[in-house]
Amino acid sequence: MGAAVPILSGSWQHLLGAENPGYFEREFGISDALCQKVLAEALAKGGDFADLFFEHTISNWIVLEDGKVSRAFSDVALGVGIRTVKGDQVGYGFTQELNEKSMLGAAAIAATIANGLKVKPAAKLVWLETKNHYPLEKLLTAVALESKLPLVQKINEKCFSLSPLVIKVNASFHDQQKRIMVVTSDGIKAEDLQPRDYLTTLVVAEKNGKREQAGWNLGGRYNFSFFTQNAIDEIAAKAVNDVLQLFDAVQPPAGEMPVVFAPGVTGVLLHEAIGHGMEADFNRKKTSTYCTMIGKKVAEPFVTIIDDGTIPNMLGSINFDDEGTPGQRTVLVENGILKSYMHDKISAHYYKLQPTGNGRRESYQYYVQPRMRNTIMLAGVTPAADIIRSIQKGIYVQNVSNGEINIGEGDFAFFVSQGRMIEAGKLTAPIKDINIMGNGPKMLQDITMVGSDLELHAGGTGACGKGGQSVPCGFGQPSCLVKSLTVGGVKP
Amino acid sequence: MNKEMLDLVAWVIKATKSAGADNCKVNLDTNRSVEITYRERKPENIKEAFTKALNIEVFVNNRFSIQSTSDLRKGALQDFIANAVAATKLLAEDPLRTLPDPKYYQGRAELALELVDPAYQSFSPENRHDMVKALEKACLQEGGDKVISVTAQEQDGFQESLQMTSNGFAGHVQGTYYSVFTEMTAKDEGERRPNGYSYAVAVSRKDLPKSEVVGIEAALRTLSMLGAKKIKTETLPVIIENQNVERIFGGFIGAMFGRSIQQKRSFLADKKGQQIGSKHLTLIDEPLIKGGLGSRLFDRDGFSAQKRTMIEAGILKEFFVDWYYSRKLGWEPTSGSSSNLVIPPGKRPVSEIMKDLGRGILITGFIGGNSNPTTGDTSIGITGQFFEKGEPVQAVAEMNIADNHLKFWNKLIEVANDPFLSSARRFPSLVFENIVVSGL
Repeated sequence: MGAAVPILSGSWQHLLGAENPGYFEREFGISDALCQKVLAEALAKGGDFADLFFEHTISNWIVLEDGKVSRAFSDVALGVGIRTVKGDQVGYGFTQELNEKSMLGAAAIAATIANGLKVKPAAKLVWLETKNHYPLEKLLTAVALESKLPLVQKINEKCFSLSPLVIKVNASFHDQQKRIMVVTSDGIKAEDLQPRDYLTTLVVAEKNGKREQAGWNLGGRYNFSFFTQNAIDEIAAKAVNDVLQLFDAVQPPAGEMPVVFAPGVTGVLLHEAIGHGMEADFNRKKTSTYCTMIGKKVAEPFVTIIDDGTIPNMLGSINFDDEGTPGQRTVLVENGILKSYMHDKISAHYYKLQPTGNGRRESYQYYVQPRMRNTIMLAGVTPAADIIRSIQKGIYVQNVSNGEINIGEGDFAFFVSQGRMIEAGKLTAPIKDINIMGNGPKMLQDITMVGSDLELHAGGTGACGKGGQSVPCGFGQPSCLVKSLTVGGVKP
Repeated sequence: MNKEMLDLVAWVIKATKSAGADNCKVNLDTNRSVEITYRERKPENIKEAFTKALNIEVFVNNRFSIQSTSDLRKGALQDFIANAVAATKLLAEDPLRTLPDPKYYQGRAELALELVDPAYQSFSPENRHDMVKALEKACLQEGGDKVISVTAQEQDGFQESLQMTSNGFAGHVQGTYYSVFTEMTAKDEGERRPNGYSYAVAVSRKDLPKSEVVGIEAALRTLSMLGAKKIKTETLPVIIENQNVERIFGGFIGAMFGRSIQQKRSFLADKKGQQIGSKHLTLIDEPLIKGGLGSRLFDRDGFSAQKRTMIEAGILKEFFVDWYYSRKLGWEPTSGSSSNLVIPPGKRPVSEIMKDLGRGILITGFIGGNSNPTTGDTSIGITGQFFEKGEPVQAVAEMNIADNHLKFWNKLIEVANDPFLSSARRFPSLVFENIVVSGL
């Protein structure tokens, strides 16, 4: 093993984000005067406001396969996106070259959305002060590669040690350091350092000539010190236990039946089937079934759902969103009543409300959309065991993937990768590889029991896709019972 | 070829070797793109950009890493390369990680693939706006009083890519693309707001259908979903519409790659030469189609592109195996990625097949679902039309099909005559028998 060299390094690795505002000026010469000149160009034909989104992201992956960490990837993304907004219309240009000429060119493209008289941006820029929900002890890019390699090697050893049936282990570690600066024509500048990291494994096991696979990960916006031996053991144990359970799995009969969701990772269903319909752009355009439901009952009184960008180190947390609105906690459904949508500046203006800090984008190459952060159903009062005991015949869903919703109809489908049958109030045979289908708003109404065991999913791989953009999101929920969903088995 | 690109790539190869790499592969990709979206008869978004991306594969002392960056300042690149090579040296040794044997670079077809529209440079902002306005107008008119919202979009671009290796490969590609898309949301009973869309993609503008056709199609597809509901669980024949075949067949194709096989995550690993589908299933990887969206003269390894029959009359003939996994498996490489995937079309249109079947479901959309590449188990939500006497009688939603791929593709009984050409996966509509469709 050679000297400790980070897979990517540079002078920026010694700077600690929010504690040191001015990163883009120091590294790339982005002065207030230059920002104001570019904003003026973006508003040269009018418009309600304009903003600049600077990004410098460094991402690293190391991959273990067949016992060796013989593959690594790194990526550097650098650029600025320039947006001009007029009502609900957006002009957008971006450039990867942070010089005046390129930025003015991108601003001129953004300006084409408007056709009026020029508007002057604010004469002075002021730093936005926010809380830091993911402070770093040490920059992730300053962590030596030699410190990362043992993580995946230990996962590999642990998985093989847990069962002789394990035949392949793939493990990887990802770290990302995203520097952003938002500068708005109303005089706000905000700078952030958003870390993201996760440790993940995928295990293949073989028994009597039959193979199965399962995986697990932990991560979020954590310090590198989060990835302890305990974390390694937890990931390995979960992946191996899950893969072994699959050898006994059956496929349930097709048809409608009650479904109990385990706490934690199944919250992704809450995100897909319910959360997306509460994003304000779909409601502003009247394409969501929730567009007439503010103030109305959408669930039983024991159901409360929030979208929270302030939970320490959680994957969807943000100190401020990608248009400079501070991260916050937004109550979507309170005691069964729909209270709020998730807003960016455009939808907030439309509804004459304050933005909720949900304006997000994948990178400088994309314009802002209302997006979820960490979407969570709060705990109820029923013990999880009582929920299961109440079901004569149904399924218990432990893990899901590949969820999708048709926003207008509200119809959704989810793939159950881990679960069990419920028979006579007890968990029985494991199930796998089946779809569950339903209607999001109806499912929300049909939640008849909510457990007391709220669990936030501490995963780092969750990415939500919308309009061709992917952003990291978190989720969580307690155990809950939906009285009826369609289960897609192989026999009637 | 763009001299600036050539000079930069040559400099990067030299700098990477100077920094201590034994070998390297460099890709430089550029893309100029424009996107215009209309809603409520005015522009909703206008976006234009030019991007560059540099990708370096570093080989040093039997060690390997991939580095990419959009920061192409020479000083930044110099640091980037030095750090990349230093970091690569810390990884585990893997003697199988090398650049390909140059013999696989040989035999490149001398053929013009016609991937650039000569008329692209004259495609004006006015042309783009007119195209989107026509999409929106046609959809609004066809949708009539059922329309809640219509969104129309045009995207186009000019892409250029240069790939070079330190062991003698050089390849250059230019291409244009045009994409039109229209989406409609309609009023239905209660709070349901069905949403449907239509799109088309082509290398040349002349190959796009008229905007009016795409706009009307989006409206018709949306209106056809009015009143959708789930029906009783039943075993039925189903027809999967051409543009949706990719979604379910993709789960099968995913198990045909060398990595899946070597990592023991493929249900097809031991099935080469065996019957894995009905006699109606043939799949060809066809890279040399003029104007094809997946056409190419070489792949990512630099291998010269060749037409390959992957599945023939239900028999699995080949896998997609790149250089690295071919060495791990001890097999001859083919290609690590697909180009244009073709299922040869049949003779009859879907409408005629529906009449013959009498009763069944025409699947016009999939939702959610997944496919387990290790076991072949798949389950996916469907939307579409229940038909009787060959005519649609009820729109269906919230329904599901589930099977194992090794059983499912044996239920294929006919291939229709309508390949979908707005994709590199040129699949026609497919007809299956005895499928359990789950609903009530």
